Amino acid sequence: MTPSGVLAASASGGDLFVAQNVFFGMIALVMVVSAIRCVTTRNVVHAALWLVLVLAGAAAQFILLGSEFVAVTQVLVYIGAIIVLFLFGIMLTKASMGDDDSVAGEKRLMASLVAVLLAVVMGIALIDSYSDTRVVIDEPQRFGAVSDAIFSQYIVAFEAVSVLLLAALIGAIVVARKE
Amino acid sequence: MLGSVLTLAFERPAIDWHAVAPELTLLGFGALLTLVDIVWLERGRAVVSALASFGLLASMVPVLTLAWDGADRSTFWGAYVVDDYALVMKAVFLLAGYVVVLLSTNYIAEGDYWENEYYQMVLSAVLGMVVMASARDLVTIFVALELLSIPAYLMATWRKRDLRSNEAGLKYYLMGVFASAVLLYGMSLLYGATGSTMLTDIDAAVSGDGAPLAVVTLGVIFVVVGFGFKVSAFPFHTWAPDTYEGAPTPVTAFLSVASKAAGFVALLSLVFVGFWGRADVYQPLMWVLAAASMFGGNLMALRQTNLVRLLAYSGVAQAGYMLAPLAVAGESLATADDALSSVVTYLAIYAAMNLGAFAVIIAVARRTASAEIDCYKGLFRYSPGLAVAMTIFLMALAGIPPLGGWFAKFEIVLALLSPGTAWGVALGVIVAVNSVIALYYYARIASHMWVEAPPESADFDTTTPIKPPTSVSAALVITGAATLAFGILPQWVGHFTDVTLVVALPG
Repeated sequence: MTPSGVLAASASGGDLFVAQNVFFGMIALVMVVSAIRCVTTRNVVHAALWLVLVLAGAAAQFILLGSEFVAVTQVLVYIGAIIVLFLFGIMLTKASMGDDDSVAGEKRLMASLVAVLLAVVMGIALIDSYSDTRVVIDEPQRFGAVSDAIFSQYIVAFEAVSVLLLAALIGAIVVARKE
Repeated sequence: MLGSVLTLAFERPAIDWHAVAPELTLLGFGALLTLVDIVWLERGRAVVSALASFGLLASMVPVLTLAWDGADRSTFWGAYVVDDYALVMKAVFLLAGYVVVLLSTNYIAEGDYWENEYYQMVLSAVLGMVVMASARDLVTIFVALELLSIPAYLMATWRKRDLRSNEAGLKYYLMGVFASAVLLYGMSLLYGATGSTMLTDIDAAVSGDGAPLAVVTLGVIFVVVGFGFKVSAFPFHTWAPDTYEGAPTPVTAFLSVASKAAGFVALLSLVFVGFWGRADVYQPLMWVLAAASMFGGNLMALRQTNLVRLLAYSGVAQAGYMLAPLAVAGESLATADDALSSVVTYLAIYAAMNLGAFAVIIAVARRTASAEIDCYKGLFRYSPGLAVAMTIFLMALAGIPPLGGWFAKFEIVLALLSPGTAWGVALGVIVAVNSVIALYYYARIASHMWVEAPPESADFDTTTPIKPPTSVSAALVITGAATLAFGILPQWVGHFTDVTLVVALPG
């Protein structure tokens, strides 16, 4: 059974996508370094800013894959909203803005162990499954196709999300409101 | 230029309004509830509870007409399916939601909590569950899960002036979000491996030999672990005791029944429609989860002194019983049908008996203001009705005939034994052993109520009978009647829960 999505084995095997591969490598390197700095830095604000680089890198990778919609969403939602929320959260709570030694505390060994284990397992699984699969991008994914899918096959989920947002809003106001 | 944009080929989906009528009814009543609050302000408080319960019952009408109609409906390109299985589960969710509203009415009004908003949360969460019962693709399942979880997180922290309720909500929220992340990761792996979010397509793709087995395996494990949190299976149960104890008691009843059942519904759809052909992946996983949940839950329940915490751990064990048939589900088509029917039966009966137990806890806590087991000493002397009701629910949970629980457990064991494999038989034996362990702690509470004298140093009245409010009494009658009826007339519930999901793949 051939997977029918974006990942499909190239029958021709002709195109090499040299430029894409070079850029992939560069962006991936930036992402890996930023991700490691994000969890090793002792400053919470710096960690949030390193995370911006990781997420921007992910958006760039989506552009390389021809998925504009996902890339734009990544920038708007993650960098535009979530990181800003992080920074506001750090500012509004009493977290220290400078270096904080307690951040890198006792649970460090366990956390890195889990991270390494997950990376190894995921790496082995992905290499085992896709090492001889080539990504072929026939044409970029169009915004129109995404909206068509949302308003046809996924319409129930879309409507459910709007109820979810309303419920979350009402509940959050009740919980956060001063009495 | 503009013309070419406007003429994008968009096919307006043909909407089967009858198929989505239960959801729309519920949604309409939710909107009405919001409007009542905005327009009538304080004057609306008197009717919100009645309006919410009426909305839940009104949503049962389209469920019944759909059942009367009998045809399986598949809409939105198969993403949303209305069949016997979906309808039975929708009925369970709506009725469980109704009982929870009955239990909440006095509790929320007297505690001066945010009433209108509370019922909006209940209706939103039930809407998520009702959608979940029909969802047959990963995106809809995930959104339905969030729609039922996020109101539940908020409801757990509804007694916001109580630190323990805050702790309950926060713990539930953090663990739940973590589980959602794991689940979503598994779903993205499955989508990557199969190229589709539709469960039927995923089944076709993962069952073949060409499927990328390593990624599919990881995807299945992550998805099952994600739902393991939701159904509080061991070892993903750590949030349950604290959340159950700290949350308002009607919310605890809601979490332990409706929320858990919704997790199971998604898990059943995924296993039986999504990756039924990959029995080699999910069967061992389910076996380990089921056995660990049964032993873990029951052994920890033995040491509890608080009835709500005890029910939390017993809920872990009950999740284990319900996971057990999934460990043999992939043996054959007949086994799959047996396994599915047994889990659906268990869910329906479990909803009745567990909600009943919580109804008694709420009634007794109005007098004692506590759920410690010691407070139940001598309950029979001064409040025989409640003591009898509690005994019925506890014995049903333990699985003593002729109460509902025995039929549920019987079906589970039957499904486990039917394929005749060594693993199935072993799990059947584990279910039997655990039923005996569970009987010990349920019977201990019963003996507290019947044999012992009321505590003399108690700071509450132990002479006059406890008079529960009308709505709680109604909940007691409904759940008690259901528990008895399921046990005495098992063919009645068996008729409704004899559902099927697995369709033999061509070839």
